[in-house]
Amino acid sequence: MSAHAPAAPKTRTAPPRPPSGFPLGFYRYRNYVLFAATSVFMALGCFALLEAVYALSRGEAAWNAWLAAMAKPHFLVLSTVILLFTLYFAFRFGWVGRKIGAGRIGPVPRPPLPMLVLGVAPLGGFVTLWLILLAVLAGVLR
Amino acid sequence: MKLIHKLEPLWWILFGAGGFVAGFFLPALLLGVLILAPLGLLGDGLSYDRAHALAASLPGKVFLSAVISLVLWHCAHHLRHFALDLGSHSLAPLAAYVSYGLALAGTVATLAIVGAL
Repeated sequence: MSAHAPAAPKTRTAPPRPPSGFPLGFYRYRNYVLFAATSVFMALGCFALLEAVYALSRGEAAWNAWLAAMAKPHFLVLSTVILLFTLYFAFRFGWVGRKIGAGRIGPVPRPPLPMLVLGVAPLGGFVTLWLILLAVLAGVLR
Repeated sequence: MKLIHKLEPLWWILFGAGGFVAGFFLPALLLGVLILAPLGLLGDGLSYDRAHALAASLPGKVFLSAVISLVLWHCAHHLRHFALDLGSHSLAPLAAYVSYGLALAGTVATLAIVGAL
């Protein structure tokens, strides 16, 4: 195309607007909002882990004080809520993964495995890794 | 804002990597460090000496830095797009700068704290 050719007219589009009932009017929207909320709690969990590492860097007394503070009921409740949101994220993330596995990319055909197997495989991998990591943290695996 | 759009592939790479890391490692890490260790249910598994030895080793430092910082970038990108979904297109630059700014600050803090172990 010549540099002096007239520019093609821009396609007219409607202004963006949220779907009716968004964000809480329909169960799929509510699941979507819940999934977004996992990011708030996972970020909180990361900052709590960072605080743990910081306590670790300041010596044994600071580490033990941090453990004692985290054992208080309100922090345990918060930690449990953070964990539940993180588990929801992980299971939904793994479960959505089956659709990626079943997709067709270019000439690659759809794999013959049923969707259930494709969904269970990543979740099984997640749970196996969690158990290994917990065993390392508990000192069972060194 | 032009820079934010120019770096869009980078945000998506960090988002994807953070999602995988969160799925693979975060639940066990949170359960172990935030719940079981404070309750004393891990025995001596996370006593000071052992926890410090685990975290201060090279694999431990790489692991902690990668998990914490990548998950923060994942969360930042997710929340930025959720803010857009809620219809705050006029706030798009603010959402981008606040979310990515927090992730960047968290990454710098993580590298500094983990590096000082």
